[in-house]
Amino acid sequence: MAAPPSATPATLRVGRRPNPQLDQWRRTWYLLRRNTLALVGLGIVLFLVAIAIYASFLPIPWNDMTAYCNFHAAGCEYVCTYTGGAAPGPNCYQVASNFPSFIPPTLSLSSGAGQFPLGSLAQNPTAPLYYNTFSGILRGSDWSLIIAFSIVVSGAMIGLVVGSISGFFGGAVDETIMRLVDIFLSIPQLLFVIITVTVFTTFTIPGLSVLASRVTLLCLAFIIVWWPFYARIVRGQVLVVREQKYVEAARASGAGRGRIIFRHVMPNSVYPVFIQMSLDVGTVPILVGGLAFLGFNLFGLSTTQVFPEWGSLSAFSVNQFGAVFSACSVGACILPWWQILFTGMMLFLFAISVNFFADGLRDALDPRLRR
Amino acid sequence: MQMWVYVVRRVALLVPVIIGVMTITFALITALGPIQQITSYFGPPPTHGQIHTYNPTIPCSVLNSSQTGTCANPLYTQYASKLGLNQPIFIQWGNYIYRSFTFQWGLVSNHSAEQQSYLAGLISGQPVATVLSWLLPYTLELAILALIIILLVAIPLGNLSAVYRNRPVDQASRVMSFSGFAFPGFLLATLIVLAAVLLLGTSTLIHTPWCPSGETALAELTGSWPSVQSPGSCAYPGAVAANFGYPAWLHLGVISHPTGFPTVDALIHGDGWLAVDSLLRMLLPALVIAFGSIAILLRFVRNSMLEVMNLDFVRTARAKGVPESTVIKRHAGRNSMNVTITVLGLTFAFFIGGFPIIEDVFQLNGVGLIITYAVLPNGEDFALIFGSTLLFTFLVVAANLIVDVLYAYLDPRVRLG
Repeated sequence: MAAPPSATPATLRVGRRPNPQLDQWRRTWYLLRRNTLALVGLGIVLFLVAIAIYASFLPIPWNDMTAYCNFHAAGCEYVCTYTGGAAPGPNCYQVASNFPSFIPPTLSLSSGAGQFPLGSLAQNPTAPLYYNTFSGILRGSDWSLIIAFSIVVSGAMIGLVVGSISGFFGGAVDETIMRLVDIFLSIPQLLFVIITVTVFTTFTIPGLSVLASRVTLLCLAFIIVWWPFYARIVRGQVLVVREQKYVEAARASGAGRGRIIFRHVMPNSVYPVFIQMSLDVGTVPILVGGLAFLGFNLFGLSTTQVFPEWGSLSAFSVNQFGAVFSACSVGACILPWWQILFTGMMLFLFAISVNFFADGLRDALDPRLRR
Repeated sequence: MQMWVYVVRRVALLVPVIIGVMTITFALITALGPIQQITSYFGPPPTHGQIHTYNPTIPCSVLNSSQTGTCANPLYTQYASKLGLNQPIFIQWGNYIYRSFTFQWGLVSNHSAEQQSYLAGLISGQPVATVLSWLLPYTLELAILALIIILLVAIPLGNLSAVYRNRPVDQASRVMSFSGFAFPGFLLATLIVLAAVLLLGTSTLIHTPWCPSGETALAELTGSWPSVQSPGSCAYPGAVAANFGYPAWLHLGVISHPTGFPTVDALIHGDGWLAVDSLLRMLLPALVIAFGSIAILLRFVRNSMLEVMNLDFVRTARAKGVPESTVIKRHAGRNSMNVTITVLGLTFAFFIGGFPIIEDVFQLNGVGLIITYAVLPNGEDFALIFGSTLLFTFLVVAANLIVDVLYAYLDPRVRLG
């Protein structure tokens, strides 16, 4: 293995000010680049982010999935289905007569083959009312990523500030903050979110729609139980950093407390936070899915509506899958495997790729674990 | 410092933490408003008599007077003053803390009975703390089983992947633990049940020593006891007809007496096969839970082992010719173990949140299952939700306490320093 590149030789760029932070990032990137799994993880995450950005420009409903049915009826889009024989038209899908809402995946994105590349997401196997898995996943990408990132980033910001203050000042401040952190760490996370969202069922933030306030509330509930983890990590790191020589030097040269905290202590304590953040961001959609799976009306929608978010979609499809299963005897039954496969896969893919990335990041940032 | 001084000190430090959590739940319960508070504490308004509501004001005609307009609801006034809702907020807070510590957590709402199960029928209208105390042992046994599985897998595998760093063993354990972390628990649990039913068939009966007349695969996998209502209808020894065909010690097939721990109770009553059955029924859920939360411990064991293996005393041991296996087991392994124990509390707090989902899928009669009854959108059961939050808080705090004491016992520097 070649030695990590040090700072660019001074002969090449005369007069370049040394920038140790930039050099640190370069070194990290160099070490990360050598870890295939981490790079794959990073690639998938970036791909999903790109999808989310793309999805936000699509003309799909953003708050509720379009309902389709195979007959002309109010409140749903018409889609042609047939049970046997030749296809009556170009955009028609074959379904079994006892399960009119199960459209298997067409696995084709070309406009001629139709709009169900990943099959239908049936609400009730026998009622001809269903959703499009593909558009749900596509539309769900921006909601899921926005919810996940906003929770983790806000939690980390709060934890960073609180943890730095706690670790840097020590004494009574530290004691108080750490007891507060203990309190929040002792509350069962999911139950707290459940309570908060149920208690404020009718709560709407002025100026926001019902759905937007529910999403905000969900995020706030998660942030409240999440920041203490970061605060504890940061505090532990700050306790080490504040004893370093460069902090002493800064203090000796007359830097104020604020400057020392924000310019010297904090930047040197954030590395474990990045790792923890990338671990956590993947679990958010899974947790949301778990809540939705319990039959919990997270987003204040009516029972016929489905919110396009990966966790909720997956929970919805798993619930429906179980219902299909217990409703029919095996053999005569069609198992809509596409429902649970594709929605579950998105959750899994996102979580595992951020995990691989986080693991690579940890190896790159922590010299003790360096290979 | 003596060990017992350390323990007493730790326990004393826990009291403010618990009070803090109760303050948060108090804030939320206050945000609910007085009507919900009264309902969750005293149950729904009486159906006999004139007044069927806790609303502060009601039409005067209800109070058999000839007046028109609205009058104060005597029922509301009575219950609000019983609960101290007309007192200053600090007094209310004090009352709440007192009630929480004395396990006066309100009544389970009757709407749980809509669930159409023996469990729901049994708990509706009962005090929350009583109901939780019936079901807690089952959940605890499941948690302990899951924790044992996690420990049995994570410690050897973590040590192995530290020793063979970046070799296939390490990579495989990494991929496995991350998959568990990334796989949604509800999906995995449902898939396991469905796959097993697919393999075994929906109608064929499975004959087991504890259920000779046979049970369907679905009944065999879900539920905490063999069902007496499925086609085969297992006959229990000592079955009581009034108890729906369950023996007297297994109340309605939900709560077992005297301890509540299913395996222990079955053994106490001398039914070895039933004990085996209750354990087997927990095995699959425990495996799902363990798979989901093994990553935390596994990564931690690996990293602490890596750190310890770089320390001087390990090098010394190697230098003086101690065999490599002894170095790993005795020198490095034991020292990394101490640190590993500290994560156990965190692991416990992490996986206990997943219990409602797992117990819902496998239909196990534990605390998690009734939480799923309580969150259903057509009328949430606030007494039950808040009660189980307090209970889980106690569990997490107790787990952390045990971990701390264990750590102090193993590493004297902690209690001396």
